[in-house]
Amino acid sequence: MLLEINGLTKHFGGLTAVMGLDIGVAKGEMVGLIGPNGAGKTTIFNLITGFLRPTIGNIVFEGSDITQKKPHVVARLGIARTFQLNPLFADFTVLQNVIASFYLHPRSSLWATYFNLPSYRRNEADIMKQALEILKLVELHNVKDDLAKNLPHGYQKRLGIARALATRPKLLLLDEPLGGMNPDERAFAINVIKKTRQEGITILVVEHNMEMMDIVDRVTVVNFGQKIAEGVFEEVRENKQVAEAYFGVEHPE
Amino acid sequence: MEVAVETIVNVMMLSSIYILVALGFALVLSIMGVLNFAHGALYMISGYVCYQFATQFGINPWLALVLATVVMSIFGLFLEKFCFRPFFGDINRTIIMSIVIALVLETTVNITVGDKVRAIPDFASGMLKAGPVLVSYERLITLIVGGILLLFITLFISRTKAGQQMLAVAQDPEGAILQGIRIHRVAALAIVMGCAMAAVSGSLMGAIFQLRPFAGNHMLVKSIQVVILSGIGSIGGILAGGLIIGTLDAILPLFTSGAVSQAVGLGIIIVLLLFRPQGLFGREMS
Amino acid sequence: MMEKQVSTGKKSRLKKAIIYVICALMAALVPLFVHSVYYLHILILIFIYIIVTSSLRTIANSGQISLGHASFMGIGAYTSAVLAKQLGWTPWITMPLGGFATMAIAILVGYPFSRLRTIYFSMVSLFFGIGMIAVNTIFSKVTGGYFGLIGIWPLFGRSKVPYYYFFLGLTLLCLLILHRLENCRIGMSLRAIDQSHEVAASVGINEAGYRVLALAVGCFVAGLAGAGYAHYNLVLSQGSFDLLASINLLVYMMVGGVGSFAGPVIGAAVLIFIPELFRGLKQFTPYVFAGVLLLVIFVMPRGFVGLPAQIKSWINRRREAKEDRVAS
Repeated sequence: MLLEINGLTKHFGGLTAVMGLDIGVAKGEMVGLIGPNGAGKTTIFNLITGFLRPTIGNIVFEGSDITQKKPHVVARLGIARTFQLNPLFADFTVLQNVIASFYLHPRSSLWATYFNLPSYRRNEADIMKQALEILKLVELHNVKDDLAKNLPHGYQKRLGIARALATRPKLLLLDEPLGGMNPDERAFAINVIKKTRQEGITILVVEHNMEMMDIVDRVTVVNFGQKIAEGVFEEVRENKQVAEAYFGVEHPE
Repeated sequence: MEVAVETIVNVMMLSSIYILVALGFALVLSIMGVLNFAHGALYMISGYVCYQFATQFGINPWLALVLATVVMSIFGLFLEKFCFRPFFGDINRTIIMSIVIALVLETTVNITVGDKVRAIPDFASGMLKAGPVLVSYERLITLIVGGILLLFITLFISRTKAGQQMLAVAQDPEGAILQGIRIHRVAALAIVMGCAMAAVSGSLMGAIFQLRPFAGNHMLVKSIQVVILSGIGSIGGILAGGLIIGTLDAILPLFTSGAVSQAVGLGIIIVLLLFRPQGLFGREMS
Repeated sequence: MMEKQVSTGKKSRLKKAIIYVICALMAALVPLFVHSVYYLHILILIFIYIIVTSSLRTIANSGQISLGHASFMGIGAYTSAVLAKQLGWTPWITMPLGGFATMAIAILVGYPFSRLRTIYFSMVSLFFGIGMIAVNTIFSKVTGGYFGLIGIWPLFGRSKVPYYYFFLGLTLLCLLILHRLENCRIGMSLRAIDQSHEVAASVGINEAGYRVLALAVGCFVAGLAGAGYAHYNLVLSQGSFDLLASINLLVYMMVGGVGSFAGPVIGAAVLIFIPELFRGLKQFTPYVFAGVLLLVIFVMPRGFVGLPAQIKSWINRRREAKEDRVAS
């Protein structure tokens, strides 16, 4: 088990966003986290990555407890994420966004960085190479010198993924990566995600879009912050509770 | 016993003035999102304006106070229209603009009348003697007038439509625009009220303490202290905050030197900010 | 809140480096032509405030806008002056010590303060600044309190020229320190934090740590400049490091423009020099200052450094309008 979530519960004053959640993600898997809007999925991501502290419960990654750890520590341990609203380094160029995100691997010491030591220069050259590779992967290398804030929405989302990949994560949390994309962009993004999987990265993805369900191994369904079903997508789809939860949403297919 | 009563009156008087000035400052801050560095200068110059009316034109001090308030309110309208509205939304430039206003006001006063020591003639002379207790009417009156004005303002904000609009803009500017509230009108009202409150405070204090060209800086710092302590978003909070700062400022110097009491007061505020940055009563600002 | 202009590429960096070197050389030649003690004094003050304002910008670029920065200059100044006076050490040792003392205090308060979002940090820094003055008064036996500190060890003799070169060198050194911070990955991470602290955290950047780092370096430089000021001015008064002084620094920075490293340099130079030109007006000097500020906010929203871009776009707009007229 790469990631284990046990009894995760989060209260916000009177509101319970997440309740008694148990999720496990094995290494190399791709798991979908689905549920109606407001079901608490982004909250779960925030809890995993340390942006929020759970009220009860714990999160274990690679055997160690990361429940109370701060976001940057969680990132250093190997968990990367994208955000639903996709904030970026708006005033940086596309290339700078990725370069800035290459903070961890390889990592130069403050001393080496400041005094421009050979190890730093080597690392930065390496980073530049890797950054360009990632941009090629998400096909943003043509716009690498454009400012991130000027990009169209679909490109920005791709940049978000590129940025997350720059941290060389073991586990990648994708929060609605297909949001706001047209069919071509979606197909492209799914392709990128498939390639990422081939690199051996474990993926947990929150997504409404059914095209994503074709490539996940299994799904976990949550509603009102609780797990209501789990399993292979075809089985889960038939589940009565799930259909109820999605009442009003188009039946898949 | 006498000291106690006198102290209490001082505390209440200081508090009510601090609250008045801080409230004006907080109104502009919460509605226009602007740290109005000129607020202290407005307080200061109100005192001088009142003095002019009271002495040069020999008018009754109370009438002078009313006139000063009117003059300052009109000045506030002028400020809103020509100085703050052009830069609405641009925090940096609005702050510099307010600094410019403060500079101009303070320098003008300093050059023209600054070197002469003045105080506004008493609004109420004599001392109240109740048993062994001796309290100056002046301070008592300041306390009472300040309190009444505060009550009036609180009622205005909570009961009238205009006041509700102000609260709406303070809490959610974009939502207020969507509701059709005219932000500039509300902003103008906020500044006018702020100026009026500064005017009354400045005039009243000008009778108790001397008028000084740079008195505004002290009041500005006090206003910021109160606003930090209580946070933005609740008038009751400002009331409480003003009371606390007023109490500290009146009582601490009795026990220790001025500098230590100031350091203690500031230390408390800093510690508070660290643990509760939105102040005691404020809403969280993200 | 801060707009940044990003410039990359070796060519523009080389161009900039050449400009800096030329400016430095020109500055070095000044004492050969300018003999007036008064103008040398102004230039020295400009150097000092260039350093302090630039350090303010470095800190501001990490999303921490300090309204109490002058107090850090004061900490360096008083530390160095007092150490020299009480222990008899030479200023050449006490000045760096002043810088380090300032840095230590900055780190001490920086850790708790770094948790605060922009406007709260600004408010706390404002009170820190005032608090430092109160502390200064409390220890007035050593610092002279309200009446100030006199009889400080001078660095050189009576002539201003050695001071001029000393501060020119100090400015170049401090600007180099700050510039390197900004242009290496550390500066990039700081700018990243300023643009989106969530994304920065999610790529592994320790937001609090970096903020403290920026504060530490900025305050070291400010303290160093303050120490230099102490052993030049030979007299220290609280009023030089109070809220008004901190606001002045902020204004220098904003007028010059935060988008570029040269901004604080220009801002400090302009806003110190111009009022001095009008010194004959004595008490009217604040009017001049206010006038310059008004000019800047009405005409130059991005400060002086934004001027070339503004002029360029103004020319372009005129040209387009002309072409439209010709075409129709």
